[in-house]
Amino acid sequence: MNLNGILTLAVVVPFVGAFILPVIGRWSERLRNGLSLIFVLVSLVAAVALIPTVTAGRTLLVQWAGFNLFYADTLAVFMAFVSSLVGAIIVLYSFGYIRHYSWRNEYYFMVVLFLGSMMGIVFSRNLLILYLFWEITAIACWRLIGFFREKSYVLKADKAFLVTVFGALVMLLGFITIYHQTGSFDLGQIQETLQGQPISNLAVTLILFGILSKSATVPLHTWLPDAGVAPSPVTALLHAAVLVKIGVYVYARLFLASWTIEPVWHTIIPAIAAVSALVAAGAALLETDLKRLIAYSTISQIGFIFLGLAIGNEIGIAGGLLYILMHGIAKGGLFLCAGIIEQNTHTKDITKMGGLIATMPVTAVSFLLCAFSVMGIPPFGGFFSKYMVMTGAVTSGQIAIALTFLVGAFLTIIYLFRVFTLVFFGESKLAVRPLPAEGSPVMVFSVALLGALSILSGLFINFPSHFVQSAVQQIIWVQSAVNQILGFIP
Amino acid sequence: MNVRFLLVPILLPIVAGVLALLFRNRQGKACAWFCTAVTATQLAITASFFGQEWNLILPWGAFGWQFALKLTPFSNFILLAAAVFGFLICLYSAAFMNGKRFLNQYYGYFLFTLGLVNGAVLADNLIVLLFFWESLLLTLFGMIVIGHPGAFKTAVKACIISGVADLCLLVGIGMTIYLAGTMTISQIHLPVGGLNSVAFIFLMIGAMAKAGAMPFHSWIPDAAVDAPLPFMALLPGALDKLLGIYFLTRISLDIFVLTPLSWLSPLLMIIGSITILLAVMMALIQKDYKRLLSFHAISQVGYMILGIGTAVPVGIVGGLFHMINNVIYKSGLFLTGGAVEKQAGATDLAKLGGLGTRMPVTFLCFIILAASISGVPPFNGFFSKELVYDGALEAGRTWHVGWTFYAAALLGSFFTAASFLKLGHAAFLGKPNTDPAKVREAPMTMLIPMIIITALCILFGVWNALPLERLIQPILGEHRLEGHTFAGWPASMTLVILTVVVLVGAFLNHLWGAKRSGSGLGAADHIHYAPGLHPLYDRAERRLFDPYEIGLKITNGIARIAWGIDRGIDYLYDTAAVKITYALTNGIRKAHTGSLFAYLSWSLAGLILIIALILGGI
Repeated sequence: MNLNGILTLAVVVPFVGAFILPVIGRWSERLRNGLSLIFVLVSLVAAVALIPTVTAGRTLLVQWAGFNLFYADTLAVFMAFVSSLVGAIIVLYSFGYIRHYSWRNEYYFMVVLFLGSMMGIVFSRNLLILYLFWEITAIACWRLIGFFREKSYVLKADKAFLVTVFGALVMLLGFITIYHQTGSFDLGQIQETLQGQPISNLAVTLILFGILSKSATVPLHTWLPDAGVAPSPVTALLHAAVLVKIGVYVYARLFLASWTIEPVWHTIIPAIAAVSALVAAGAALLETDLKRLIAYSTISQIGFIFLGLAIGNEIGIAGGLLYILMHGIAKGGLFLCAGIIEQNTHTKDITKMGGLIATMPVTAVSFLLCAFSVMGIPPFGGFFSKYMVMTGAVTSGQIAIALTFLVGAFLTIIYLFRVFTLVFFGESKLAVRPLPAEGSPVMVFSVALLGALSILSGLFINFPSHFVQSAVQQIIWVQSAVNQILGFIP
Repeated sequence: MNVRFLLVPILLPIVAGVLALLFRNRQGKACAWFCTAVTATQLAITASFFGQEWNLILPWGAFGWQFALKLTPFSNFILLAAAVFGFLICLYSAAFMNGKRFLNQYYGYFLFTLGLVNGAVLADNLIVLLFFWESLLLTLFGMIVIGHPGAFKTAVKACIISGVADLCLLVGIGMTIYLAGTMTISQIHLPVGGLNSVAFIFLMIGAMAKAGAMPFHSWIPDAAVDAPLPFMALLPGALDKLLGIYFLTRISLDIFVLTPLSWLSPLLMIIGSITILLAVMMALIQKDYKRLLSFHAISQVGYMILGIGTAVPVGIVGGLFHMINNVIYKSGLFLTGGAVEKQAGATDLAKLGGLGTRMPVTFLCFIILAASISGVPPFNGFFSKELVYDGALEAGRTWHVGWTFYAAALLGSFFTAASFLKLGHAAFLGKPNTDPAKVREAPMTMLIPMIIITALCILFGVWNALPLERLIQPILGEHRLEGHTFAGWPASMTLVILTVVVLVGAFLNHLWGAKRSGSGLGAADHIHYAPGLHPLYDRAERRLFDPYEIGLKITNGIARIAWGIDRGIDYLYDTAAVKITYALTNGIRKAHTGSLFAYLSWSLAGLILIIALILGGI
């Protein structure tokens, strides 16, 4: 099969396939489950199949009736790989988790649609297509957050929907501004028209609204902790694989890999990210709801990703991209562990847990492995990404920002140890005896897999680091044209 | 030999550690002997490296990262010391840990630790160094947490303190790479001053925290109580010191070139002096064998930092010599503590006493080790302390503070001697508090490591040319030494006399204190309850001065502010936005009165407005 066909399949199979899942589900649950996993795996396999081509420096462009539809470079394939990898593990975990609840057909429909739209965002070549998929993810996310249908839950789903859609509409205004400036919605054509000139600050501001609301950055973040009312695999999906990564990915896609922005943004965006990282890490230290706590952690870590991407030097960008992968794996693992804990203890309050390491050893160890990765301790993958992001900040010479992130990193260590000890060590405060046991085998396997990936991604750093290096080289190639014009050296 | 053999000291213990984890818990004995065999092999291999200088560079990741290792006389020395103590403590553990829980984990983490330390010492690339260095957090956590079900609190404390310091090291390494333009350690030689000094301080924080200097020390006394005892001998006793001081020396001698005139030099000396004094004052009042030793593990680091901080050859040589001496006697002392714990069943000094006759070999080892740490001639600690004193006086002249640093160090020696007299008296002399029939001498596998270590104390004292001329002076190189040698009897007789006076003073102080309180344990009570000191001691015992607790309070303050900001923003969404929307819609709703006249007049006004706009546009 030709490569363009593979690229098209990566988007179309999960996106279209999602619509037949509810139909099949009426007939056979097993087949529906299997198919939903297969659809996501198609994206994963397609992404893997494209790796050799894109890392060799080639790019792919899918046209339809003369219209540029999809585009693949290393950055896109990298993101597709991360999302579909973590997404596939989450779907696998769902087999064990969601069978206790009704509305399963809708669940799998929305989850696969969500991942399919993510593929659409990742590969789209046109701002309007990107916007279209962006809003579809908002709808899927709205249904999934309110999945349990309680009134307060639905209100929280509405909140997430309103904030992200509001951001997206502002972003659409930004796209229209760019259209005014360049006369096109096509990323490639815009790039040609601009000829290395930075896009207008107005457009950047408007688009950033969308990006920051989707990636839950302070002050557009509070919907994310509230979204913890969703089923745990959904929260993992939101935090690790798809939703919050959309914002950072679109940032990299637009402002790094396609166009350039004024150098002043290399200070403004890290400063916003620094505030976000610190505020969210502080909130995580006081939060007592397990899932909200991990959500604050996500907000904080997204700050680190933005720092790397926006700081304006090569090592920072590389660190930011690597962070997307490492955080995706580790945070996915944390949420899925939280799901097992929540489902079996029937509480989310960490002050009412304790001592669970005795009865949930695999979950506990997986949680610890993922937590170590988020803390950035070697040999876990998170070490490399945190090191590179921090080095990028130091190298940029913006000491105040670097120190703020250093404090954020301190807090990360403290709140993760706090939650781990409260949940797994000490005297148990749960009323039930004997203490709840492990989750179903498929769930435990999923979390163990993510825990193992956290450590393997660090031990075999060779592969991810080369992958990221290739992406950064393509980005730098775009940026270098502008640096000459502006005299700005990254 | 092939250069790739350099990987063996790293990979052998790590692979063996994975195998150790596969043992079942009831196979503890087999696991112990397996690990002893591994550490013995390790010792043989590192010994065979001696005198070689190797470079190994392997590809590692993108972005020009290289897995670079380098064997130099310095790394060789640390490697060998780590292997010796790894082997001795492993041998000791075989009897000591017998019958305890999680033995496979204990030995697994033990071996991982050895491999990671070797990796950090051999690393010739800053990222490789950081990789191994920070990985030690995992084994630190693991080895403390298996101590007993409540030990996780100390494990978390240790990991948070070390983790914070390691993050500073990470930032320092990032800065250094940026400033130097290379990651290869052996190619970096930066002068201090300006931004370079900031980078130096970040690296220094990492090194000092590893060595256990103040204010990164407070997990060590807690670990002494909670962690398995050989852990104390291995990490805070030996490997942490070796690694921390190794790196501190590297950053002061090669990576940065610390000069006696840089303000960083007095900074290091001040930290060193404070660490010596405060920790030893705390040691003096301890009533538990292991806790008392753990405060000395902190205090002794002060001498090393003071010595290296002088940035003059005699001080650096003294600091390094003190490092290896301290590793010898401190791990030895911890091992005697373990023997007492195992045989007498307690480490609380109030429950001990009169063990000298029941455990004569342990007692003899203790006497020599305690004499070494107190700086009694002719044992090893005496010679290294004299060198540090010399350096402190020389640096004192440079900074016009005269004998201040020297006096701090000497006062530290007084309290060190006093606290060991108290410890020895309370544990080994006096009336037995336990049933003496039950207490016997420790088993052979525990005695052998203690005896070897004690012999080393004598050897390195009587024949101090061996460590000084073979191991330590080559680290500084001829260009710094200018033909000097520091072996043999100390240069200044005055200093020796002062030392002896202080030691005799400590002895008299002990006799007086013991007579006054009527027991060895109470020999320091007159200092403990002295007016002015007592309230301070009281607060220190309640952990009011624990930097960790203070840090957590500050962190909590930051968290509260952050929480307030977060909730404030959420209020804007959940309440303010809703209220504003309702207010707006209510306002508009009220305007819809149902009156035809009102609607018509709006329409008319709108029409006029549109026409006006169109006309204006034309």
